[in-house]
Amino acid sequence: METLVTLLLALPIAGFGATALVGRRLGRQAFWLPVGAIVTAWAVGMVVAFSALTGQPPFTGEHGQGFGFSLYRWIPAGDFTVDLGLYVDNLTAALLIVVCTVGMLVHVYSIGYMEHDPGYWRFFAYLNLFMFSMLLLVLADNFLVLFVAWELVGLCSYLLIGFWYKRRSAALAAKKAFIVNRVGDLGFSLGIFAVWTTVGTLNFQDAFRGLDQKIAAGALEPWMVTGIALLIFTGAVGKSAQFPLHVWLPDAMEGPTPVSALIHAATMVNAGVYMVARANPIFAQAPEAMVVVAGVGIFTAILAASIAFTQNDIKRVLAYSTLSQLGYMFAGLGVGAFTAAIFHLVTHGFFKGLLFLGSGSVIHAVHEEQDMRKMGGLARRIPWTYATMLVGSLAMAGIPPLAGFFSKDEILGSAFRNGFLVVWAVGFVVAGMSAFYMFRMMGLTFWGESRVDPHVAAKIHESPWSMRVPLVLLAAATVVIGALLGWPLEGGTIHAWLDPLFEPARELLGLEHEAFGGLDVALVLASVAMATLGLAGAVRLFGAGAGRFRWPARLADRDALVASVPGARFLYRASVNKWWFDDLYHLLFVVIGGRAGAALRWFDERIVDGSVNGIATVTVAAGRGLRVIQTGRVQNYAMGIALGLVALTLAYLAGLFR
Amino acid sequence: MTIPATVPVLGWAWDDLLFLGLAGILLGAALLVVLGRDIIHSGLWMMLCFGALAGVYALLGAPLVAVAQVLVYVGAISVLVLFAIMLTQSKAGPLRLVFHRQAWVAAIASIVLFALFVVVVAEGDWPQRAAEVTRTATDQLARLLFNDYVLPFEGVGVLLLAAVIGGVYLAKRDPGQGGSL
Amino acid sequence: MSGSLDAYLLLAGALFSIGVFGFLARRNAIAMLMSIELMLNAVNLAIVTFGAFVPALTTHASVIALMVMAVAAGEATVGLAIVIAIFRNRRTPLVDEYDAMRE
Repeated sequence: METLVTLLLALPIAGFGATALVGRRLGRQAFWLPVGAIVTAWAVGMVVAFSALTGQPPFTGEHGQGFGFSLYRWIPAGDFTVDLGLYVDNLTAALLIVVCTVGMLVHVYSIGYMEHDPGYWRFFAYLNLFMFSMLLLVLADNFLVLFVAWELVGLCSYLLIGFWYKRRSAALAAKKAFIVNRVGDLGFSLGIFAVWTTVGTLNFQDAFRGLDQKIAAGALEPWMVTGIALLIFTGAVGKSAQFPLHVWLPDAMEGPTPVSALIHAATMVNAGVYMVARANPIFAQAPEAMVVVAGVGIFTAILAASIAFTQNDIKRVLAYSTLSQLGYMFAGLGVGAFTAAIFHLVTHGFFKGLLFLGSGSVIHAVHEEQDMRKMGGLARRIPWTYATMLVGSLAMAGIPPLAGFFSKDEILGSAFRNGFLVVWAVGFVVAGMSAFYMFRMMGLTFWGESRVDPHVAAKIHESPWSMRVPLVLLAAATVVIGALLGWPLEGGTIHAWLDPLFEPARELLGLEHEAFGGLDVALVLASVAMATLGLAGAVRLFGAGAGRFRWPARLADRDALVASVPGARFLYRASVNKWWFDDLYHLLFVVIGGRAGAALRWFDERIVDGSVNGIATVTVAAGRGLRVIQTGRVQNYAMGIALGLVALTLAYLAGLFR
Repeated sequence: MTIPATVPVLGWAWDDLLFLGLAGILLGAALLVVLGRDIIHSGLWMMLCFGALAGVYALLGAPLVAVAQVLVYVGAISVLVLFAIMLTQSKAGPLRLVFHRQAWVAAIASIVLFALFVVVVAEGDWPQRAAEVTRTATDQLARLLFNDYVLPFEGVGVLLLAAVIGGVYLAKRDPGQGGSL
Repeated sequence: MSGSLDAYLLLAGALFSIGVFGFLARRNAIAMLMSIELMLNAVNLAIVTFGAFVPALTTHASVIALMVMAVAAGEATVGLAIVIAIFRNRRTPLVDEYDAMRE
C-alpha cells in the first residue's frame, strides 16, 4: 500500500517533470505523457480509496483506523521533527475520489479544449503539478506538509489563472488571487505555530491527541483552543474564498475553463473545507469557533448567491455559485454536520466540475464568448453540452434525485436539528436563490432567442469527443452519486464511511444521531419546494425550453417585479457591483494602504535609512579627520608608543600611590 | 708611591670617584650622540659612550661583560655604524635640519620618562639586595653558560648567522640596478 | 655611591631616556639606530646592576647581558643593512621622508 500511495504522488510529479522538460518539443502531442500519468494515477487512487473505504488491510478494522507512513524524516531538528508523512483514512479517500476523478476528466477534456493554444505543453505541465500538489494536500499527515501542499496548490492556481499572461486582466487576477491567499495563509501559518507551541508536534493524530490531553489536564485555556481553531480557519477562509477573502475567486475565472473546473470549483477551493474537517478535533473543542465557521459560511452563501443573480459572464455566475456552495459546506462544518459537509464537497465537486466544463464547451462553441447576453438559444446547436449542463443545473438547484439535493438537504437538516435556526433559514432562502440563478443562466444561454453574433452563429459547433466524454461521464456521476452515497437520507454509505471519523467530535459537541423522521421529511419537502419555486421563477422570467415545448421569457413580469419590490433598484445595483467589495477593498488596501505604505516608505528612507547613512557619514568624516595622524613616518608611531608608555606608567603609579 | 685609601681633598672612596667620572662621560657622550649635528661625530661619541659603559661594567664586578662590551660594541658595532654612515652620506654635505619637527614633544616625553624612572627607583623596594657589589666569577659564568644556558647560547649563534646572511642579502646591490652606491 | 643600586639604576634610566629622545627626535636613520643601541645598553646596564646587587642573580645576569649583546649585534647588522637598502632606493637617509607606510 505504501508503494501505491507513493506512486499516486510520483505519477503526477513525474508527468510534470517530463512535460516541463520535453513538452515543448512534443507540440500537439504533448498531452500523452501528462494525461497518461493522470489516468494511471486515477486508477491507483481508486484502488487506494476503495481499499481504505472497505477496510482492506492495512486499513485496520471496519471503516476504522487510517493508514499512515513516513517517506522520510524531513526536518530532524532536535525536538522539532517533521516527517514527510502520508496518511490515508476514509476522509482522505473521499477526497481522493473527487480529486482523481475530476482531475482525470479535466485532463482528458483539456486535450480538446486547449488544442489551439500555443502553451499546450505548459498547460499540461501546470495541471500535473497541480494534481501532485492537491494529492499531497489530501495525503499529508502533518500540518507542515499540508501547508507546503497548500502553498503549492496556491502557486499552481496562480500560474494557471495567469496562464494567458499576456492578457493584463489575467495577470492581475492571478496576482490578486495570490495576494488574497497570502492573507489567509498568514493566519494558517500562525495557527500551525500555535499548534506546535502548545502540543509540540505537527502530526495530525498526535497533535489532536495531545490537544485533547492538554485540555483534559486543564493545561490549555479554552480561549487558546478557540484561537488556534480560528487561525486555522483563517487559512481555510483564504483558500476556499469565504467572506471577507472571497474577492479573488470570481476574478480567477480569467484562467482557462478547465482550470476553473478543476482548481476553482472541484478541488483546490475545497481544501479549506477538507482542512477544517481534518482538524475537527480542534474545532470540536472550540464551539465558539464553530459558530464563527457557520456564520462566515452561511453569510458567504447568501452574499455570493445574491451577486450571482445579476452577473452576465457565464463563468462568473458559476464562480459565485461556487462561493455560495462553499459557504454551505462551511455552514455544515460549523453546525457539526461534518459528514454532510464532506458529502456536499464530493457532490459539488462533480456537478460544479460538470457545469464548468459545460460552460467551457459553450464558450468554445461560440468562439470564446463568455457574455451570456450574446448567447441564447444554444440548446439545439450543442445538444450534448445542453443536456449535461441541464443535469448539472438541476443537481445544483437541489432537485431530487440528483446529487446536490442529498448533500444540501443534509446540511440544512443538520443545521435545523442542531439548533442553528438562523443558519437553516438563510440556507433555505439560498437554496431557492441557487435554483433561480442557475436557471437564469440556463435560460440566457440555451433557451429563448439567439443573440449570438451573426458571424459566429453560423460556425457554432459541438465540441470534440475528448470534451464530450468527460461531460457525459460527469453528468452520469452527478445523477448517481447522490443516491449512491446519500440514500437513505442521514444513513447512506457516506455516513458509514465518515461518521466513525467524526464521532468523537460529535460527542464532544453533544450532538446526537437522530433517526430520519417526520421532521426531516418536512424539511426536505420544504427545501425542494423552495428550490422548485426558485426554478419556476427563473423559468418564468427568463424562459425555458426549446422547440415546441417552450415557455417564453416574460419581460413584462420582470419589470413588474422590479416595480413591486421596494428598493429593487438598489438591490440590483448592489448585486451587479458585487456589494462593492472590490471597491471597498480598493479604497481600504490600495488607496489607504498605499498612503500608509508611502508614509512608511518615507519613514524608512528618512529615519531608518537616514540614521544608518548618518552613522556612515560620521564614520567617513571621522576617518577623514583621523587620516591626518596616519603619516606613514615611523617616528610618529614611535612617539605614540613612547607617550603610551608614559601614560601607562603614570596610571600604574597613580594606582600605586592611591 | 702608594695610593691613598680615599681620594685626596674630597675624601671620597676611589670607586665613587670612578663611578662619577664614568657616569659623567657616559651621559655626556650619549647626549652628544643624540644632539650632535654631525652624524660622524655622533658615531665617534657613541664609541666613547660604549667605552665608558664598559668601565661601569667593570665597576659592577662583571669583567667578562665589560670585555665583551669593548669587543662587540666599541669594536664591531661602532665600526659597522661608521661604515653605514659613510655609505649613506650624500654629497650635499651635512644636513641642516638634524631634528624632527616633533623633537620638543620627544624631549618632554623623555624627561617625563626619566622622572618616572626616578620615582620608580626611589619608591621601589628591592628585596634581598646586597649592600656591596657581588663580583661575578668568570669560571662559574662559563659553567652556567655552557650547561644551563647552552641551548639559548646555540640559539643566539644561529640568530647571529641568520642576521649576517640577512644583512648581506639586504645590503647587496641588485645585479640589474646600477647606481653609485 | 658606587655601592648603591639606585645610582646605577638612575644612570641606566638616564641613558634610556636619552636613547628614547634620540630615537624620536633625530631625522637620520642611522642616528635612530644608534639611539636604539643606547637604549639596549641602558637595559643591559640595568640587568648587570641587578646581577651585581642581588647575589642570587649574579652569574645569570652576566649570561643574559651577553645574550642581549649578541642579539643587539644581530639587530645592528640587519638594521644597518635595511637602512642601506632603503637609502639605495630613496636616495636619502632621512626617516621622515620614508612614508610608504601611509599607503
